[in-house]
Amino acid sequence: MLLKVENAKAYYKLEKVSVKAVDGVSFEIFEDEVVGVVGESGSGKTTLSNLVSMNILKPLTLVEGKILLKINGEFKEISSMSREEVKKKLWGKEVTIVPQSAMNALMPTIRMAKYVEHLAHSHDLAEEKLLAKAEKRFEEVGLDPLWLKRYPFELSGGMKQRAVIAIATILNPKLLIVDEPTSALDVVNQRVFLKVLMQLKRMGIVRSIIFITHDIATVRQIADRMIVMYAGKIVEISSMEEILRKPLHPYTRGLLNSVLTPEPEIRKRGISVIPGAPPNLISPPHGCRFHPRCPHVMDICKEKDPPLEEVEEGRRVACFLYSEERR
Amino acid sequence: MSRLVVENLTKIFSLGFFSRRHIEAVKNISFKIEGREIVSLVGESGSGKTTTAKMILRLFPPTSGKILFEGKDIWKDLKDQESIRDFRRKVHAVFQDPFASYNPFYPVERTLWQAVNLLEKKLSNKKEALELIKESLVRVGIDPKDILGKYPHQISGGQKQRIMIARCWILKPLLIVADEPTSMIDASCRGGIIQLLEELREVEGTSIIFITHDLGLAYYVSDNIFVMKDGEIVERGHPDKVVLEPTHEYSKLLVESIPKLYRKLEGL
Amino acid sequence: MFSTMIRPLFKNKKFIIGISIFLLFLLLGILGPTFYKVDPTEMTWDYEQPPSVEHPLGTDTYGRDILAQLLHGIRSSLYIGFLAATISLVLGTIVGSLSAVKRGIVDDTLMAMTNIVLTTPSILIAILIASYLRIRSMEAVAVILGLFQWPWFARAIRAQLMSVTSREYVYLSIMAGYSDLRLVIEDLLPTIATYAFMSFVLFINGGIMGEAGLSLIGLGPTRGISLGLMLQWAVLMEAVRRGLWWWFIPPGVAIVAITASLMVVSTTMDEVFNPRLREE
Repeated sequence: MLLKVENAKAYYKLEKVSVKAVDGVSFEIFEDEVVGVVGESGSGKTTLSNLVSMNILKPLTLVEGKILLKINGEFKEISSMSREEVKKKLWGKEVTIVPQSAMNALMPTIRMAKYVEHLAHSHDLAEEKLLAKAEKRFEEVGLDPLWLKRYPFELSGGMKQRAVIAIATILNPKLLIVDEPTSALDVVNQRVFLKVLMQLKRMGIVRSIIFITHDIATVRQIADRMIVMYAGKIVEISSMEEILRKPLHPYTRGLLNSVLTPEPEIRKRGISVIPGAPPNLISPPHGCRFHPRCPHVMDICKEKDPPLEEVEEGRRVACFLYSEERR
Repeated sequence: MSRLVVENLTKIFSLGFFSRRHIEAVKNISFKIEGREIVSLVGESGSGKTTTAKMILRLFPPTSGKILFEGKDIWKDLKDQESIRDFRRKVHAVFQDPFASYNPFYPVERTLWQAVNLLEKKLSNKKEALELIKESLVRVGIDPKDILGKYPHQISGGQKQRIMIARCWILKPLLIVADEPTSMIDASCRGGIIQLLEELREVEGTSIIFITHDLGLAYYVSDNIFVMKDGEIVERGHPDKVVLEPTHEYSKLLVESIPKLYRKLEGL
Repeated sequence: MFSTMIRPLFKNKKFIIGISIFLLFLLLGILGPTFYKVDPTEMTWDYEQPPSVEHPLGTDTYGRDILAQLLHGIRSSLYIGFLAATISLVLGTIVGSLSAVKRGIVDDTLMAMTNIVLTTPSILIAILIASYLRIRSMEAVAVILGLFQWPWFARAIRAQLMSVTSREYVYLSIMAGYSDLRLVIEDLLPTIATYAFMSFVLFINGGIMGEAGLSLIGLGPTRGISLGLMLQWAVLMEAVRRGLWWWFIPPGVAIVAITASLMVVSTTMDEVFNPRLREE
């Protein structure tokens, strides 16, 4: 096991209200695996990624829960450290996050190499050594090392995204978190990017990857397990193949059935509709948060919040349909 | 007679005042759409699909070529205001961005009043018109009292897109151009929008053109697919043919690269 | 809409100060002459008198009452400012929206014209025109000034409308059979309303300053009294060198106070309506 999150709650505390973006989630990431975190906009998946890397900036506040990361064979509670401390000691080496907008956040007037130099300074490493490493990493992701000396605006979208990944993984982080890395790319570049990710993992540069996306078809290509989020909660955790074969949670089922890919099975299957819209997270529905939209809603769903329970080996689902408590 | 015939349509944009640069957005494309047919124009951004849509909607003129709707050239044969209004009644659109589809200065039902006022049959009074608006909202699964009098920022993207379809229910056009109608709304709401458009086709016999980058969507909804690349149609035909046996290099690459749900991409 | 836009304005201290100063002068200009019934052109034998009970702000070389001149001057300067601003606003709006809606050759021609007016030194042309007119009424001066300050406004609203006209809701209105005029009035003009209002404020400023400038070099209105004309007379009679402070300070202060207050009003409106400039 590489990472363990226990009952984490993170709210955006605003002046009068708090937005319960992540509300009591528990899961773990094993060594040598790719985990897809899937959810719609506003499901809390981006907040979750920030939580795992302790990238917590006001107004986001960790209200409750623990985040444990394995460092040198021992679990360390990183949730009790400050963001600054985690940033200095762990970012880049143990855990690295590539945020959604990373590719567009590159300053067009700063050469790529400058970012590597910054990294060397913040980790007290020799600049030349790190630059040499960066050149090698650029080659590994299929970019000419000469691009290091260029400005970001000279690179195409797909190349920029690969450059970002190359720089983010220079220090061989054990856990790599990528947030919607493919949504701004066209399908051809998406595929190249997925290939680069898998290659980094095969080469042992990164141990495990958390891939956050709204696009199930993309994450399906590389993920071993999938975490489905809805309105700040995890509704299902399962191996990728199992969840595709037989989704358990009604939301997962609805979400899978709204995916359209050019495959004959899809035309046969048809498209399903989940009525209503995702709730707002300031005052989410009482009980199960999916109950107002659920086709199988029962009385208990309106009152009690279903716990995330193991129903089969390695499968957990938060739904009373599979729970002992249903009566 | 085909409902819509596009013949050798070309659009060249010229930029600059002295040294004019020319950009060929659409190059000599032709296709036909029958009544009750759903077709898709599939392509990436810059492929010319949106430009084609806007020419069909009579929003800007083609450089050359013809667009015949019910046998009439929409840029040459519609001479007076009344025939243009008639065209507007019969050809309508749903756009990509639900937020940009509403003027933030007016309540959302303005868009429905516009449709009511466009109708050929003038309604005798306001009450009757309001009934029609409410009926169209119910039709797309919205409780009228949830949205009447609200401003665009107060309702969700999915609802906004449904109201756009309500507008189509009032007009009952013969052709709807749907420009990426689902790409900016939540995944769980997408199916609903597609079903509503399909329902319009079933009930009213409306023809629909989907303009999309999403081959999966096109494959699912269309009777015919046209794949566009750099302003040209490079592949056309029945969805099964385009997706399962593509012939052009570009569509081959496209089909090959799109992530699928039931099979893994090779060589990752 | 109204409450969300107007209320924050009145919570802004700078705006309240600016608008109060301006309203004070507006009231002085409108009501002053009706309450202080002294003929500003009447010459008396009490010439070059410092302020006294009889003449609260003293008199000039011809024995005319300065306070009466000041009140009438504020009134006419504001009148010229408003008139010039209205002319600029109307011209700019028409040129800008025509350009944005019609595009093509109309746009090219109008923008060429706009650029010509924008790049010619407008005050020089104004001087040329003004010097050809034997008799210059207040209105003539306002028109001359109004004719030269619209180009930047026309360009700005053209750019703004261009971006609005490619929005989907504009297409939807076109598809609902709207005419160009109806489209401009219902969909386009509301989006530039706040910007137009701020520009109007600046145009008033331009009118008042322009009038003062023309008057100072002897090309102001040939009839009536304005703040610029008062300054010109003071300059002609060497009031500054001779220490007749009551003659040149009041019109100077009035011009500075009016234009500065309008400037503050305009910038604070920009701050309030443009959230990117707002200080949190």
